[in-house]
Parts: sequence; structure tokens; C-alpha cells
Amino acid sequence: MSGEPGYTMAEKILARACGGAPVRAGQDIQARPDFILAYVFGGFVGFPKLIERDFGVTRLDAPERFGLFLDHNIPVTDTKLEARMAEVRAWCGRQGVEIHDGAGIGHVVASEAGYAVPGAFAVHFDGHVSQLGAFGTLAIGIHIGLYEAFARSTIGMAVPETVRVTLSGRLAAGVMARDLMHHLISRFGADFCNRKVLELAGSALETLSLDDLQTFTGLAMFTGALTAIAAPTDKVLAHAQGRSRTQLAPVFSDPDAIYAADLTCELDEVRPLIAAPPSSANIVGLETLIGESLDVGYLGSCVSGRIEDLRVAARILDGRTIKPGFTLNVVPSSRAIMVQAAQEGLIASLAAAGAFISSPTCSYCYGAVGALTAGQRAISSGTLNIPGRMGSADAKIYLGSAAVVAASAVEGRFADPARYFTP
Amino acid sequence: MMPTIRGRAAYIFGEANFDVDRILGFDAMRSHDHERMKAGAMRAFDTEFAKEVRTGDILIGGSNFGYGHPHGPPMAIMRSFGVKAVIAESFSPLYLMGELAAGFVQITCGGISETTQRWDELEVDWRAGRIMNHTSGTGLDFEAPTRNERLLLKRGGLFALLRSIDLS
Repeated sequence: MSGEPGYTMAEKILARACGGAPVRAGQDIQARPDFILAYVFGGFVGFPKLIERDFGVTRLDAPERFGLFLDHNIPVTDTKLEARMAEVRAWCGRQGVEIHDGAGIGHVVASEAGYAVPGAFAVHFDGHVSQLGAFGTLAIGIHIGLYEAFARSTIGMAVPETVRVTLSGRLAAGVMARDLMHHLISRFGADFCNRKVLELAGSALETLSLDDLQTFTGLAMFTGALTAIAAPTDKVLAHAQGRSRTQLAPVFSDPDAIYAADLTCELDEVRPLIAAPPSSANIVGLETLIGESLDVGYLGSCVSGRIEDLRVAARILDGRTIKPGFTLNVVPSSRAIMVQAAQEGLIASLAAAGAFISSPTCSYCYGAVGALTAGQRAISSGTLNIPGRMGSADAKIYLGSAAVVAASAVEGRFADPARYFTP
Repeated sequence: MMPTIRGRAAYIFGEANFDVDRILGFDAMRSHDHERMKAGAMRAFDTEFAKEVRTGDILIGGSNFGYGHPHGPPMAIMRSFGVKAVIAESFSPLYLMGELAAGFVQITCGGISETTQRWDELEVDWRAGRIMNHTSGTGLDFEAPTRNERLLLKRGGLFALLRSIDLS
């Protein structure tokens, strides 16, 4: 025994990404991402010119590490937007960067397209990329720090500390991963992982589906976390096999790794919880809202709209009709999910109930389409509920699981999905 | 050299987990119209803010400031008002990375939101690692920036940093 403590998953992944020598939380490093992922974020179109003119970079280092996703403002609504898309397509062609054009919401497509490699280090402009952590990938949103990843082979960062949350038990029927995230925020606070990695562990990981894990890890920022990561189960490793773009040894935390905090959570205690306006930190019990009227439902986004969300919604809505006057927008989060939903008959059930079904796009999540007007109240499985996020600043957005969205669509008011799951 | 920061506490966002997108409202941000965003900034908090703020001012934040899914425009508008720094109890990581990369000074300082009154005159003493409150005559130690954060602060942001490195 050397007496040297063990390492967390994050420390191990970053150690490999910066050359192989062990690293510890708090250490400043230059790390080479395995994958650099992006959508068309502000100023991106000007970026190729910028890196050539200002930084002298004419070719990307290992363009196979890069992935571009056209997912916002899809389908385009004007010629200016289409010109931007065309410019990005052309740039990707010149640089040899793979582009995922209209295939769905980028973080979800990334998980389908082999970027979710257990043990890999990935970066994106956007923090919801944390959902690749469901597969044991350390995936971090670095905002405009992404320019550094385009301009040179490594990025400067400090190795983050980790908070471990050990799960036990099983979620009740009609209770979903979104509720689990809200449960943790309610119990430990909206900053309990501030600037740290939220690591999921425990026997209950086996009871959660990959969709559950992806939803949960995709919401990590609402705990203040840098990202989230789950110890890869056999199910995850089997899923990754054959899909992964690169082969890496899966990574697990050592039993004696050092954690900033070590928390536990019993899944059986989780109940439907809602993030009420104006912030995802404002968690209330669904029971406090039951019966209050609603006008609009949105089932989609990078943290919902997966096949299990659609199955749950179809189970609730099959053979029923959405309350007259209530609008339900359902947006499968990728083309592959939409195809699967169609093959399973879910699309038919949802449409027959009165749902408006859209092809995959980010646009509903920020009100570019399906916008709310003043005074309207929406139940959404999307990402954010700040004023104006989905239209008027005088509309109210409540965030909940796909089950709550579907049950509320039937009744036109907040409804508990539990009764739809009673045997 | 680290930037010189001395100015008034122009606003104190005391609540924890403050989402900076609320400064503009997302409906205004969606417009991508700088003048519209600037005209409506801070209306939910202080309708006189645009008249009162001046170059060199500082914003004070609570814990986990920048919570949620922060976007660039709110603090870009604040910079256009002349705001030079944000000092907060703690920051959410995505917000912090984005603003430091933009060259905007962000300082973590426990106790700052409780001990500072609006319009207090503050100064950052980088060498001593203290925030000096010249109005109250007190001071607070702040959390030392990491090496990478110091580099960004010294160079004035990521673009300036990358321009200073031979990347060819």
C-alpha cells in the first residue's frame, strides 16, 4: 500500500487527456479533448475567418475529433438563416469535419453517433452536453472557451472536484429521471455540486434506463455542476460497443477516491416535482399545483423527447383526447427516435389524441416556434423556465416530466400521472 | 498585469442561484437587437439602472451566480454600460467560463453580498487577495483565481490570449 488515495472518474479521464500522468482536483492542466462538438452558436460563422486571420490556424488539428450539429433554427425560417447553415456546411466540407444536418438535437444525436464513449473527454459550447455522462463520458460545456478547442489541440482548465451521489431503490411507475433531478435540487439545494462533477453510483444505476440517465445527466447544470457522469454499467458498455468512434478502456472511480461530498438517494422516495417559474431552482411538489389550469404542453428538448418519454406519453394519451383548447407539441429529439416512435405506433397514438408532432429541432425549447403569448401557462419537459424563454415574458413555464406533461394534456390542467400507471 | 478594478457596487443580486438571463428577459435576447436589449436591461430589478450606472462600476452576486443555462448577451450589455467586474459569493461554472473567456473580471468572494451596500466604493487588491470597501473601511479576502483564470484576466480574454500564442 502506497498510502496514496485513489482517483475519481473525472481525474482519471483528464489524466489521460493531458498525457497520462495522474492529476488531482484543483490542478491546472492543458487537456486534449477526444471530441469537440458544436452547434451554430453566436458568431460561429465568423470563426473560420477569425482563426485563420487572427490565430494563423488554417487546418484543424485532427478534424475527425470534431462534430457539428445543425439543430437550432431547423427548419430555417428565412434566407439569412439558410445562408448561415450553407456557410457552415461548406466550411465543414473544406475542413473535413463531420456535420449532422437536421438529424436531431445535437446532444442526443451525439449519443447515437458514437461520441458517447465511456472514458472519453468531450467538450461543447453548451452545458447540456453533460448528458453524454450517462455513458461514462466526461462531457463539459465550456461556452466560448470552445474557440480554444478549435484553435489549438488542448484547452486550459482546472481538474474539478467530484460529488458522488449513490442511488438505491427504484423509481415508482410514472416517476421519471426529471423528478429525480428535481428531488436532488429540492433536497440538497440548487448549488450542491457547484463547479464540481456530479458522479452517479450505486446499485440503482442498473434499474435506470439509458434514457433516464441521459435526461438526468443532461440537467446537471441545475445543481451548479460542471457536468455529471455515471459509472458505466454492463448495459452502458454493451450499448457503446460497436457504436463508439474510438476504443478506450472504460473508467471507474477507485473505492478510495477523494470526493468533495458523498451523498445518498433512495429512488423510492422520489415523487413528481415541478420547477416553477422563474427558475429551475424553484422546485415545488406537483400536488401543490394539481387542478391549476394550463394552456400549452411541450414534450421535447435535449433532456426529453426520447423514446421512453414518447412511450410514456403514448401510454397516457392512447385512446384519449387532449383537452379541447389545450395545445400539445411533441418533438422527438432525433430522427432515429422519430423513426422508432413511428415504427412502434407511438406517433399515431399521440397524433390521434390531438398532439402536434414535429420533426426534431431545438426551436420549440426557446420559442422560435410554438411561442407562448402573454398570460399563457405551459407545462414543459424542456430545459428552462425563465421569463420569455418560450415566447412572452408574461407567460409562465412549469418544468416537469414527460408523464406529467401528457397527463396534464388530457385534463388541461396540472395532473398526476400516477393514475395512468395503476395496474 | 491584472486589470485595475475600482468602482461602485452598482447593483447587488442578493438571491442565490441567480440566472443572468433574467437581466434582459429571454424574449428580448431572442431578438438579437442590441439596442432593444440595452433599453430593457434590468427593468425587472431597477428601472433607473441605465441612468445610474457608470463606467468602472461593479456588480455583486450571491451564491451560484449565473445559474442555469447562461447566455452571453446579459453581461455583454452590462459591459456596454461600463461595468468592469462581477464579485459574487460563488459562480456557476458555465457562466464563469464564458465571462472569463470574454475577458470580463469575475471574482469569488465569500461574504461580499452581505457586507456590501449598494453604491459602496470597492477596489480589488490583487496582490493582497482582498476586496477593499472604501465606504465602510473593511475588506474581505477573495478566492485566488486558478492559473488559467489569471491568464485570461491578464490578457483580457480568450481571443487576446490565443492571439498571443503561436498557433500556426
